[in-house]
Amino acid sequence: MTDSATPSAAGDRPVPLVEFHDVTVAYGRRPVLWNVDLVIDAPCLFGIIGPNGAGKSTLLKAALGLVPLVGGTVRFAGEPLARARHTIGYVPQRESVDWDFPVSAFDVVLMGTYGRLGWFRRPGPAERASARDCLARVGLADVADRQIGRLSGGQQQRVFLARALAQEAAIYLLDEPMAGVDARSQEQIFDVLASLRAAGRLVVVVHHDLRTAAEWFDRVALIDMRLVAAGPTATVLTPDNLRRTYSGQVELLREVGLAVAERGRTS
Amino acid sequence: MSGGLPCSAALVAAASGLSASPTGSTVIGMAVPGVPYNTLVVACGVAAVGCAAGVVGSLALLRKRPLVGDAAAHATLAGVAGAFLLTGRRDLVSLLTGALVAALVGLGALVLVRRVTRTRDDAATAIVIGGGFGLGIALVSGITARGIPGGGGLEHFLLGHAAALTADDARLLMAVSAAAIALVVFALKEFTLVAFDASFAAATGWPVVLLDQALVTLVAVMVVVGLPAAGAVLVTALIVIPPVAARQWTDRVGTLVALAGGWGAAAALAGVVVTSARPGLPTGPVIVLAAACFCLLSVVASPRRGWLGRTLRAAAERRAWAAGLLLDTCLRASERGDGTFTVADVTDGRTARAAWRTLEHEGLVERLHERTADGRVPRVAWRLSGRGLDRARQRRRRAADWAAAFDRAPAAARERFSLDLPECAIATDAGATRAT
Repeated sequence: MTDSATPSAAGDRPVPLVEFHDVTVAYGRRPVLWNVDLVIDAPCLFGIIGPNGAGKSTLLKAALGLVPLVGGTVRFAGEPLARARHTIGYVPQRESVDWDFPVSAFDVVLMGTYGRLGWFRRPGPAERASARDCLARVGLADVADRQIGRLSGGQQQRVFLARALAQEAAIYLLDEPMAGVDARSQEQIFDVLASLRAAGRLVVVVHHDLRTAAEWFDRVALIDMRLVAAGPTATVLTPDNLRRTYSGQVELLREVGLAVAERGRTS
Repeated sequence: MSGGLPCSAALVAAASGLSASPTGSTVIGMAVPGVPYNTLVVACGVAAVGCAAGVVGSLALLRKRPLVGDAAAHATLAGVAGAFLLTGRRDLVSLLTGALVAALVGLGALVLVRRVTRTRDDAATAIVIGGGFGLGIALVSGITARGIPGGGGLEHFLLGHAAALTADDARLLMAVSAAAIALVVFALKEFTLVAFDASFAAATGWPVVLLDQALVTLVAVMVVVGLPAAGAVLVTALIVIPPVAARQWTDRVGTLVALAGGWGAAAALAGVVVTSARPGLPTGPVIVLAAACFCLLSVVASPRRGWLGRTLRAAAERRAWAAGLLLDTCLRASERGDGTFTVADVTDGRTARAAWRTLEHEGLVERLHERTADGRVPRVAWRLSGRGLDRARQRRRRAADWAAAFDRAPAAARERFSLDLPECAIATDAGATRAT
């Protein structure tokens, strides 16, 4: 099941930005992702949607080589991960680090520049200016020097986003950036993501909230261990697809179905 | 990170200055007249080891692997004994080489035990500590009991005996320590990145496993060069305690590393000085006691993270809340009647009475003398002073603002709530201490 672009006039397809081919991940004998085939071929805001434990985060980690694949391949603009790392920005889940660590918000954002600095080189004025700029873009210029544990949850999430911005990537992979974040931070994060899209970047977001998914993403993939459907949001978030993804959570489905139908009528 | 770099660079400069042996030692020898040259060199060597142990230990602490050194340390004794039995020599280089091999074998065993038996980290560490140490003690006591020539003094590696070091030994320790510090300073960026967020580091292409192995090896090396001074049992303390103490005083990695290095050196130096005055004493316990005293002081008294500061701040915040709430009670009481109230009307319980004293002290309430209706029993009545009235109304407005913000967007309001103490809690200037 692929979300493919229309073939160009010459008949040869453009190289897709991200290509998952038959990706399979297993923890022990339990499959987490099974033969996931997904192609994202143009810059957009792309949502990866599914219930808890569906393997959404694992899909990102597999793409980044953080969990081993038992089968399949992932390519970025036709290149394997090793050659494409510098083009990928990553925002892990907020719970993945110890926020008592003795660094400031600015220090964390500066870490986004380490990839292009390479071994043993220290960040210089250019990197520092870039980090300051990225902090300002997520609205955190005034807490730059604060130890990260003394930021709110939404601010911490935005620090992670700013660090990814400092990577100056072409493709951004975000793992649940809206989880446990207040409405204002959510809006700010969404604005930054929209500006990335406007700048021609691909933004892939693992997201759990169906209600906002319909509103935010251009394209989505529904995942529950296997890929259920992928494509433009309005055509994918159908009651039928949602039922297949979220078997059991009926009330939620009805609500979202209504919201999607509403959106279909107005647009 | 960046702020601390100059400090760490200075540390390296200092340490390498110490290890520049021929000229450096002459300078040291002339600097303190009356103290034997040998003692001075040994003191510098042990101080350099303490410094490097603190520096390397900071990284181990940040990477949440403080006990790796313990496993390595307890295995070293077997290595020391083994090296002696194999080579029959007892110069420091061969003994410490044996110790390093044993430490690395111990760390390898740690990884194996964890992987193969699926034992948890702490249990695996305990297994390696016990096994390695048992073997070491058996070997050393075997050598001592059989009276193998030259085997005396191996037990010094158990608790540390700095007095047994020669000037050449001390120079070796200095050189290794300087190299370890230089390596940490050189790769501080990389080590910090992995310690803070290993999955981000891996995602951006850094070899996390390699960096972890480098760190663990550095820890093993520091454990080994720490052996002569602190001994196998206590050398971990030199790796763990100074960084924990340093963490209390700073929120920056560079400063943390520099402080830990400084305090490691100071503790080691204290150990040498005390044991040279009392030759019967092993060095290790003295070093560790000095480090522990400082750590205790830090954990209790450091301004921001220390127990004392946190307790006092929490109490001040509670007082500010209580005073604010009492001020509102007074305002309501005075609105109900003629603007006066008695202390009993508004205070209920110990907290409120303490808060009352605050209001009184700040001049927010003032006393009136009044007679009761029958004109006989004097009743001491109070009212809000002009300032008190202003403050109470201001506080009420703010509280209403908070409540409205909370109704509009609970998550955002709660977030602000948890970060900045709401101003409505603060009634007095004295109580207006902010949590920082």
